[in-house]
Amino acid sequence: MVALTFTLSLLGVPNVTLTDARGVEFFETRIRPVLHARCYECHSSEAKDLHGGLRLDSRAGLLAGGDTGSVIVPGSPEKSLLIRAVRFEDPDLEMPPSGKIPEREIALLVQWVKMGAPYPENGAGAARRAERARVDLATARSFWSFPMPQRRPLPKVRDTAWARGRVDGFVLAQLEKQGLSPSPPADRRTLIRRATFDLTGLPPTPSEVAQFLADESLQAYENLIERLLRSTAYGERWGRFWLDLARYCDAPAPWSVSEAKPYLYRDWVVQAFNDDMPYDEFVKRQLATDHMEETGREDLPALGFLGLSPVYWKELRLSPEVIKTIIAEEWEERIDTVSRTFLGLTAACARCHDHKFDPITTQDYYALAGVFASTQVVDRPVIAGVDEHNWIKAHADVVALKEEINLIKAVRPPPADAQKRIKEINGKIEHIRESTPHFHGLSTKAVIDSSVDVLPDGPNLTKLVYKPGVASDIAVQIRGNPSSLGRVMPRRFFAVFSQAEPVTFKNGSGRLELAEAIVGAGAPLSSRVIVNRVWLHHFGRGLVETPSNFGVQGERPSHPELLDDLAASFMTNGWSIKSLHRRLMLSATYRQASAPDADKHAIDPDNRWWWRMNRRRLEVEAWRDAMLEVSGELQRQVGGPPTDLDDTHRRRTIYGTIARRDIHDMLRLHDFPEPTAHSPGRDLTTTPLQQLFVFNSSFMRQRAAALAARLHGDDAPFEELVENAYQLLYVRSPSPEEQQLAAQFLQSDATQTRDELRVQYLQVLLGNNEFFFID
Amino acid sequence: MNSGSFQSDGLLSSLNDAISRRALIRSLGGGLGAVGLLSALRGEALADQPHFPPRAKRVIHLFMNGGPYQCDLFDPKPALRKYAGQRPRAVQLRTERETAGLMPSPVDFERYGQNGVAVSDLLPRIASCIDDMCVIRSIHSDNPNHAPALLMVNNGTITPTAPSMGSWLSYGLGTENENLPSYVVLCPGRPVRFNILWSSAFLPGKHQGTYINHSDLAPQKMIPYLQNSALSQVAQRRQLDLMQLLNAKHLEARGPDRLLEARLKTMETAFRMQSDASEAFDLNLEPEETRETYGRSHFSNGCLLARRLAERGVRFTQVYYGNGQPWDTHRQHNKSMRRLCADIDRPIAALLTDLKARGLLGETLVIWGGEFGRTPTTDLSEGGNGRDHSHYGFTMWMAGGGIQGGITHGETDEFGFRAVRDKVHIHDLHATILHLLGIDHERLTYRHAGRDFRLTDVYGKVVRKILA
Repeated sequence: MVALTFTLSLLGVPNVTLTDARGVEFFETRIRPVLHARCYECHSSEAKDLHGGLRLDSRAGLLAGGDTGSVIVPGSPEKSLLIRAVRFEDPDLEMPPSGKIPEREIALLVQWVKMGAPYPENGAGAARRAERARVDLATARSFWSFPMPQRRPLPKVRDTAWARGRVDGFVLAQLEKQGLSPSPPADRRTLIRRATFDLTGLPPTPSEVAQFLADESLQAYENLIERLLRSTAYGERWGRFWLDLARYCDAPAPWSVSEAKPYLYRDWVVQAFNDDMPYDEFVKRQLATDHMEETGREDLPALGFLGLSPVYWKELRLSPEVIKTIIAEEWEERIDTVSRTFLGLTAACARCHDHKFDPITTQDYYALAGVFASTQVVDRPVIAGVDEHNWIKAHADVVALKEEINLIKAVRPPPADAQKRIKEINGKIEHIRESTPHFHGLSTKAVIDSSVDVLPDGPNLTKLVYKPGVASDIAVQIRGNPSSLGRVMPRRFFAVFSQAEPVTFKNGSGRLELAEAIVGAGAPLSSRVIVNRVWLHHFGRGLVETPSNFGVQGERPSHPELLDDLAASFMTNGWSIKSLHRRLMLSATYRQASAPDADKHAIDPDNRWWWRMNRRRLEVEAWRDAMLEVSGELQRQVGGPPTDLDDTHRRRTIYGTIARRDIHDMLRLHDFPEPTAHSPGRDLTTTPLQQLFVFNSSFMRQRAAALAARLHGDDAPFEELVENAYQLLYVRSPSPEEQQLAAQFLQSDATQTRDELRVQYLQVLLGNNEFFFID
Repeated sequence: MNSGSFQSDGLLSSLNDAISRRALIRSLGGGLGAVGLLSALRGEALADQPHFPPRAKRVIHLFMNGGPYQCDLFDPKPALRKYAGQRPRAVQLRTERETAGLMPSPVDFERYGQNGVAVSDLLPRIASCIDDMCVIRSIHSDNPNHAPALLMVNNGTITPTAPSMGSWLSYGLGTENENLPSYVVLCPGRPVRFNILWSSAFLPGKHQGTYINHSDLAPQKMIPYLQNSALSQVAQRRQLDLMQLLNAKHLEARGPDRLLEARLKTMETAFRMQSDASEAFDLNLEPEETRETYGRSHFSNGCLLARRLAERGVRFTQVYYGNGQPWDTHRQHNKSMRRLCADIDRPIAALLTDLKARGLLGETLVIWGGEFGRTPTTDLSEGGNGRDHSHYGFTMWMAGGGIQGGITHGETDEFGFRAVRDKVHIHDLHATILHLLGIDHERLTYRHAGRDFRLTDVYGKVVRKILA
């Protein structure tokens, strides 16, 4: 009997030396054609994407099974997953997905399995399967972004006069190598406009310009940079860059009953930049300030980085499996944002399979997911003297009671006592609110250590049971499927960052240990990534052009030694961002003019080697703020609750309400990122809809009118108005031709009043490229 | 008045005869600057090359948000009557809510067209177009909850961070008409999940859908900043001419610079758009007879706007049936279906007929469907006369560009609950739509967060049997 030759050994390994000629013939004539026609497209070495980790084109593959385990129990069709799948017995496992195959073919497969599933040997499959094994960590650690950055010796250059500092040494060496040379320095007007927008997101005032032009000391430019770094506007500018990465918004989930104030996190970020908080500390506080002894309750807003994570709706009328999938999506979101923001790694794809390119395994992913599975998004009170434990519990109780009301309301027809029960519950809610001190007191979007169990609640409902203070490790979800579990992974950092066995996290959820690892063992990446981001915002393009991907799939740095040198001294300088600004902005590279040069353009059209400064368009925030500033309307109050960016909003754009769903038209049209996800950098688009805003928005018209009123003085002569407008907007005098065009415009239409025409003229100046771009 | 007539009598000539538009461009000198500017001002189309010859140039997606019940419309199931009230093993599938026994459909079906395709009596006018339609009865999706299901149909995944199908099309094919957005979303109100459904996510922002609430039909209410309330068109042209002159000089001193040039060019486009878009969105320009044929409901207006946009080369137009999720018939199912069907029958038939009469149907793919279908069993949650969501098997149909008309494809089980034959997953549907537009769904990729993303992720198979 054929089946006997395939009896499993005690170890579950079939005796592969015994094959039966008749069995093989049956396989080759009857079964292989079916597998070939129905399965190989997804389950063979020819498959473009191997599905479910299952290969049916070799004996070894068949016996090894796939991600859901063994597919064949030779001799037992009823126990064989393959047979169950083709019979469409389980709605979650119907194969092939396009529809049931003919009964005749199913019968053949059943017969084959009954025979013991004879399958001829071929060596290749087993070898191929071994191939897709482990990520090679030793090799991975030698990839350019993983070794600790070191200060590099300055390369030799021919032109010994140009360089002002180490940055220039590295840049110049490359320029010379490419047959290029630097551009002349920018003039002082260009320089003050560039530096002021760069550090503060605002234009220089005419008196600041005059002062800088008059400063004949050798330190004039250094003094300018120092003054700008001291301005509170600096934090508002650079804090906003950070908020793009942190997917900040003021209204995270429309259905949430949270009373917490997201803006506290925004203000915390602004303040941290203004205080030049060391970047390593900045990272740690955002992930785990509640675990840090040196910080207090007032620092809790830092947790907004995690507290403002998108929370997806969990419909408790769906099955626990569906809810678990939604929770798994949330972990993925956290892992994606944390790994891209701080490490420039794209770890999220390791949810379903080992990263195809980077040294991140599925085990790494679930080891990290355990940290977020042990972290719950909650509101936390920031006022002193509150019993926090009691306060959080009171709020959780209210949420649970409200959910209870929702479930009662969902029952149709309404139970007879529905109204009575709802009233009772509302009474309980009222009681909790009144008896909890500071129930409505100021609170912030934050997290606590807490894990959650997803359990059935009767036959038709699901419940979430939170366990504050409890951390839990989670199991690998095979192929990202929460119902198909592998090994439980202790919480820890990515294995690639430790030479020995990675240390597991012991302190609560492990958030602080994670943060320490990011700026400790992960420093090669975390330091390079932040240095590159700062470079990007100063120069309009990063040394690495994929600012949130320093992995194999990301771009290589144009100047690896320069980036290493910057990162190494950044850490030596106590992770000070302001020191980094100085280093970059005082360089001769930064001070170059942006003018084109046909010969150099021919060699390096993208300016990859920095033979000139890049011309850059203002981000929408800076553009809007600058218009309010030159029209004399900008209100400079720092921090506090956001307000809608309507026509009465006169504050900096960072203080406008950012709703995750409805982004204001002006922002939406001008490349403001979707606040649903980490945004590594803004994609610059130029569209007609943007120009409609320039022509037709009340915002532009109002700024032009206010600017006209500001410049009007006591009926000043028109030339003076034009002169002052050019100084305010463009930091220069108009040419005679420009004066003439202005005068002609004013006389071009007798049907309109002089004042009307002036406003229209100023609207043109505000909308022009010269105002929108920084040379 | 035609905007073109201002070209010659704008500020440039009235200010100074010596400076004409042509002279301006000449004054920029030779070299790239002038050439770049010329092509910039000419407004050349930027559409990318498709992978292979397309069968359709554009899409109109009629979205029945809420999830229409397949077996009242295109998938008759007599067994529902036979086993009314019973709960055979085949219907014990978990959905969002608790359901009871089978609930028969009160609707009768008749056979239409050359192949005798069954269509419900609720949709007699649409039925008359059946020879242009392919009814797919075996669509299935992954999740019975609205939000994830809406995301799956629109964005190809249940996570709210992926680009929508329209954004992928705009990205892949560019635009046919630079004076209009390439991707327009019409809804009289707001569908659930709102802008996530037409998000460009990580694709460049210009590919995001332009959402238009057409419950107010004034064009300037539909497109932000479309109209200038303060200036006459003459005054505006004069203002723009000054701007372009100053910008051209600025560019001359600094160019070549792609970004500066692009802004000059889009200024001109925007100026034309004020009249072109106003015209495109103005239903008052339609003859009274046409308005009558489409009907006067919000959805009628959406269908007629969709035709106007299709004529003008808008790549992807989505018409949501209504605010919220009107097809979500958890209660009073039969009554609601009568009302909803009466409201869509006339405008959809009018749209198909109208597109055909204008020779547009052959190059326009019309898609009809919701985010999922509904259960054959009674939903107990809201009065015991509704139907719950079902993602296991439901109907969508396609018509026009490259589609074989007058056929059905796929089957559900005998109760119309689960797709069983020739199953078409939403990923397969997406692959097929892209195919019809000349795009290989495995080659339309975008590098983001370290990998190449696709609308169909790692899935999707073109349903070749339904191609003409």
